[in-house]
This record gives sequence, C-alpha cells and structure tokens, in this order.
Amino acid sequence: MTFTDEFLTGDYKIHSQNSFTAFEPSYSETIPSSLLRRMGKAVRMGIGAALPLMDRNEKLDGIVIGTANGGLENCINFLNQIIDYDEGTLTPTHFVQSTPNALAGQLALMSKNTGYNVTHVNGPLAFENALLDAMMFLEGKITKTSLLLGAVEEISNYNYNIDLLAGRYKSDSVTNDYLIKSQTNGSICGEGATMFVVSNDANNALAKIVDLKQINFPTKSELEIKLNQFFIDNELTLKNIDLLVLGNNGDIQFDFLYDDVKSFFPADIEYVYYKNFVGDYRTSSAFALFLTTHLLNGQLQNHIGIEGNITKTPKTILIYNQFEGIQHSLIIVESIEHQKRNQIITSKYI
Amino acid sequence: MQKIFITGMGAISSIGSSVDEHLNALRTGKCGIQKARFFQSRYAEDLVFGEVPFSDDQLKEINNLTSQKEFTRTTVLAVSAFKEAIHNAGISAELLKSDRTAFISSSTVGGMCYTDELYSDANLKAVPSNYARSYEGSDHTLRITKMFEIGGIMDTINTACSSSANAIYLGARLIQTGRADRVIVGGADSIAKYTVNGFNSLMILSDQACKPFDENRSGLSLGEGAAYLVLESENSACDKTKIAELTGFGNSNDAFHPSSTSDNAIGPILSMELALKMAEIKPDLIDYINAHGTGTVNNDITETYALNTIFPKVPPYNSTKSYTGHTLAAAGSLEAILSLLSLKNNELYPSLRCEAPIKTHLSQPISEFGKKELKNVMSNSFGFGGNCTSLIFSKCI
Repeated sequence: MTFTDEFLTGDYKIHSQNSFTAFEPSYSETIPSSLLRRMGKAVRMGIGAALPLMDRNEKLDGIVIGTANGGLENCINFLNQIIDYDEGTLTPTHFVQSTPNALAGQLALMSKNTGYNVTHVNGPLAFENALLDAMMFLEGKITKTSLLLGAVEEISNYNYNIDLLAGRYKSDSVTNDYLIKSQTNGSICGEGATMFVVSNDANNALAKIVDLKQINFPTKSELEIKLNQFFIDNELTLKNIDLLVLGNNGDIQFDFLYDDVKSFFPADIEYVYYKNFVGDYRTSSAFALFLTTHLLNGQLQNHIGIEGNITKTPKTILIYNQFEGIQHSLIIVESIEHQKRNQIITSKYI
Repeated sequence: MQKIFITGMGAISSIGSSVDEHLNALRTGKCGIQKARFFQSRYAEDLVFGEVPFSDDQLKEINNLTSQKEFTRTTVLAVSAFKEAIHNAGISAELLKSDRTAFISSSTVGGMCYTDELYSDANLKAVPSNYARSYEGSDHTLRITKMFEIGGIMDTINTACSSSANAIYLGARLIQTGRADRVIVGGADSIAKYTVNGFNSLMILSDQACKPFDENRSGLSLGEGAAYLVLESENSACDKTKIAELTGFGNSNDAFHPSSTSDNAIGPILSMELALKMAEIKPDLIDYINAHGTGTVNNDITETYALNTIFPKVPPYNSTKSYTGHTLAAAGSLEAILSLLSLKNNELYPSLRCEAPIKTHLSQPISEFGKKELKNVMSNSFGFGGNCTSLIFSKCI
C-alpha cells in the first residue's frame, strides 16, 4: 500500500518481493521524533494514519481498534532477548510496545482522548469485531457520537515465519498484479493501517455501513443459508448488491470459496478484488472497506491496480472475506445517496 | 433496555478449579501465591506466583484433552472454566449451536505462553513445534468455538489487564442490541516467561506475595487462570436461578502513560462514574468494591485516590489479587465472579497482607471476614494502555 493521497492519485508501486511491505511516510509532521524512535511499526503506522484524521474531526468519543497481532516486531525482539540473555535484565520498551492495545492506548494518550477504548484481537475477524463494537456503541446514542475505528497489522519475521510454517505463504514470490491469478498454495504477506471516523450523524458521511455478519466453520450449504438469512434480516435481497468486494488471495486451497459465494448472485454480478493492493493480512478487510467507500463515491474505479469486473459506480456493496475456510465475514455498505435505513454510520478515510 | 442476567459461572486459578473451591478459599483466607511448582524460568526460584497447581499434562488429563496436542495451557485453562460456566447455567450442546449464542473471550499472552517453542518456531530453529498454529491471542477462542460448536458471534479482546471486564461489557452490549440471547464472556491467561520478563523489566513484580493497599507494598504477583460468566437476556434466562443482574458498566481511557495510571485517576474515576450512571444509582448504594488492587505502588495509590474522590464514604473493598495473584486477562471476569460470590452470600472477605494501610488517603481494605447484606457490588479493572473498566452487579429483585 501507499499513503492515501499518493494512492488516490494513482501513484502505485508494483511489489515483487515475497511480502508486500507498506510504503511509510516520514511521520515527521505527525509524531515527535523522540516518540517515533521507540515506536514499533504497527503503532507507528496506526498513529500515522489516525492522528491526521483525528485532527480533522471534532473531539471523538472513543477509539476502537482491530489487530490480530499488534506490534509483532517488538514482540519477537523481546522474546529473542528473553532467550538470548537467559531472562537477564531487559528493557521494557519492547514489551510495552508489543501489547496489541498499545496503539489504542498511545492514540488516546496523544489525542488526550479519555473516551471509550477497546482493542479486538480476534484473528481474521479482528477488524469486523471492532466494526461491530463501534456499531453497538453508536446504537441508541441520542446525541451526535463519533469514534475512531481502525485496524493495523505489521509484517515481522515472527509472523512471517510462523505463518510460513503453517503453509500460509507461497514458496516463491509473485508480483501483486499477478497475486490473484497465481493460484498456487498460500498467499503473500501484507501489512497496513486503515483508519475511519464512524458516526451516527449522516452529515458529511461518505458511506453507510448497513450491517455485518461473521460465520464460523460453515459447510457450503450453511454458508449459503446464513448469507441469505443475513440479507433477509436486513430486508434486502441478493439483487440489491451491485458489486462484490472479494478477499481472493491467490491461494488455490481456498479461493474457490469466493467463487462459491459469487455463484449465489446473478451471473453478471460485478466484482473487484483488494488483496492485490495490500497482500494478505488478518485485518485486510479494513482496507476493503476503505476501497469500498471510494468505489461508492465514484473513485478508484479506473485505478490502474483495480482487478475484477466493474463498469459502473456501485450503490450497494457486499464485502466478503474468509480465512482458510473457517472464519467468514460479510459487510454490506451503501452509498449515502442510496440510504434508506435509519442506522447510519459515517466513514471518512484518510 | 434489555436486562442482563448472570446465570452461570466457571473459574480456575491458583485457589481452586471450580467456583465452589474459590468460595471456600475466600472464606478460609487461602492464598494461592507461592513458589512455582511447574513454571520453568530463572525467576521461578526468586519470585512467587499464583500458579494453577497442575502441570500441563495433568490439566489436559483432568479436562479430557490429552489428544489435543495443539492446545496450549491458556486454552486448557479456558476450556476448564468454560465447561463449568455452561454447565452451571444449564446451556445445552444444542443451545450452544444456536446463532443466538455468542462467545467473547480475552487473553493477553494467548498461545505465546510457550515462550521457548515460540522462539524456536519464530526463528525457524528446528522442526515446527506442536504449537506452531496456536500462538495467536485468539487461538483459544477459536478452538473453544470449534470444540463446542458455538453458533453465534465470537470475539477476542485484548485491553491488557482489563480484557475480560471488557468481554463482559461487549457481551452485555450484544444482548442489549438484540444480537444475542446468551453470551459466554470472560478470559484466560497462563503464566509465561514472556509476561514474567515483561513485568520484571518494568520492575513491578514483588519478590513476596503481593500486599495490595499496604503502605509498604512492593509490586504485584503474577497469577494465571480462566473465568467465564454466562450472560442471558430476560427471555433466555426465563425461570432459571439468576445469580445477579449486570446493571452498570463503564469504559474509559486514562490517556496518561502506556504503563502507569495518572495521579488524579482520570480513567478510573471516569469508568466508575459511567458504570454508576448506567446503573442509575448513587455512589452510596455500592455496598462492596472488588478493587483492581494490584499491589504496585502506582495502582493502589491511584485507585485509593479515585475511591475517595467518588465515594463520600468509601464502601468496604478488597483486592482478591491478594489470593489469586494478577491473572491479567482473566482478572476482570475472575474478580467479577469473586464479587458475585460476595453478593450472593452476603459475605465480605478480607484483603490479605495489608498490614499498614496507605497513609496518604483514607484507606482501609476489609481486614476480616464479615457478613453484610449486599445489594450492589462494583468490580474494577485497569490496564496498560490506560484501559479502565468498571462493572456493577446487583441482586435480582
């Protein structure tokens, strides 16, 4: 991924390594250098994405973050010190920075935000759970209420090696414009931070989250039944969806699941992928929501990196992602013009 | 607003493998903090821990999990408490499969409790260990979801030492917003080199059993365990025996420092005030507080200040960490259960080892066992990253 403005104007670099590393900004205008030196990558990327967004908005009522693993590089550094120095005298920086809630805590600290503060670490559903938490926080609030909602994941040797051992990554490198087509075992590791402001106030909203659902350990028929029920619960039909944003990651072992879900929809359903931009990581669906928000606003449809079949600006999008066929998530997002429900969540991107 | 009832509890820690054993330990003043018998570390000799008194193999045997090679100690502890909670609440296997049954757990160390295996796997030092796919913080949640075929929403929280208090908070919100009828909520953590070295590097571990709220306290004692509660809506709980009602919860951030609380207790005061506001009760109606009370110099002075600020007359309070040690992610739900034991039995249990109470504020934790009619109890959890959560439980009228 690149930083937002560069990405939106089409500045887009092709990755060819066996992991898609984030292109980070200098952070010099966002983070004091004394703090920056001590920050791990996850915390740094998260703050770099969140603080400018928080600055542009009125005081927020809290911070909700999803991250499967938090600051892994610090985690492995601390772990290595424990073993290499036989539990000798260690410095606490790595330990404090490695806790997954370090980002939400640091954001609260830097923005002096004493409001609601939760970090979800539920693996490949960590962002979806954070989104659900934010929706529940906003529901029932009578006055205007807004939260920072985001996700972060970093590549470290630690998770790279662990996931490699688990057979989750390809043995050879592929470029990101070939990732989806590659169809070999495993995917390519990615990383990134994505931040939103979500609110119960529709003014200036960029999109509306209609609802989301998680489905765990389903059979194919259960997946279809639960997906249909999800639409019924929201008084929608599959025909209301005019674009699918799909989490295909080039892994031949599981990509057929996206075809299964696509087959539930009319044969001419339009679709785009998103992991070709950022690679695969546990909270990449936050990037899918970022892409979705732009597509609903007529942006990025003609971006050089877009893969799939999209011919018109969509009004209602379904984001579908799954992890090894075990955890599945569905998020329905509508354009603001199209809104017809009373539950409104604004999302602003950086 | 939907009422939230507690209909089941399950717990394992250094003072017991069931809720009944915990009650017995509280009544008899049994402390679980001592020299570790199973935890392997150079600090095993120098420090004391609230260790669950069984080896990994014994724990697996007791819980019929010997065939589960990938289950870590954290997961096995979680299964133990989870099973007790659902049994206690009478949640059938069939009901667990309902998509109206949710599961929200929490952990800080998660599957990283095997520091040496993790080191080997993360650095590709040898053939992958049994735990190569078990290290993530959410590992135990996923394995329990699979094992018990839980049909509804599942989530894992990590807000450090307030994690499972927030799992309770989130579970209650699922019911209040109509997304679930019953939610099993709580957390699990096991003693690990990772955590012990982390807290040691911050120089907040006591070399003797912790002395919460004592003027001469010298740090916390790490413990381990798991604790789960079953929360149900009024319809779901129906005519079951209801242990209590969750009437208030508040979450805030201290926004002061990554690993210590502010002198003026901004976060702790806010979370307690939010919980009181939601419960719609005045501070003087709180009959007992299960304090966060870690035994560190910083926490106990801040919390004492916060209690004196909010309560015109500070209600009886204790730190049950003086029995169990600090069980990290499990602390919020474990201490919720211990608070509920007080509430249910109208009993106050002494805070152990507070010989000379903190001098600077009016402060005297419960010093001896006593009986008292209790209606509303509060449980506090404050964590690294400034995460503060307070819960209020009330007797069902």
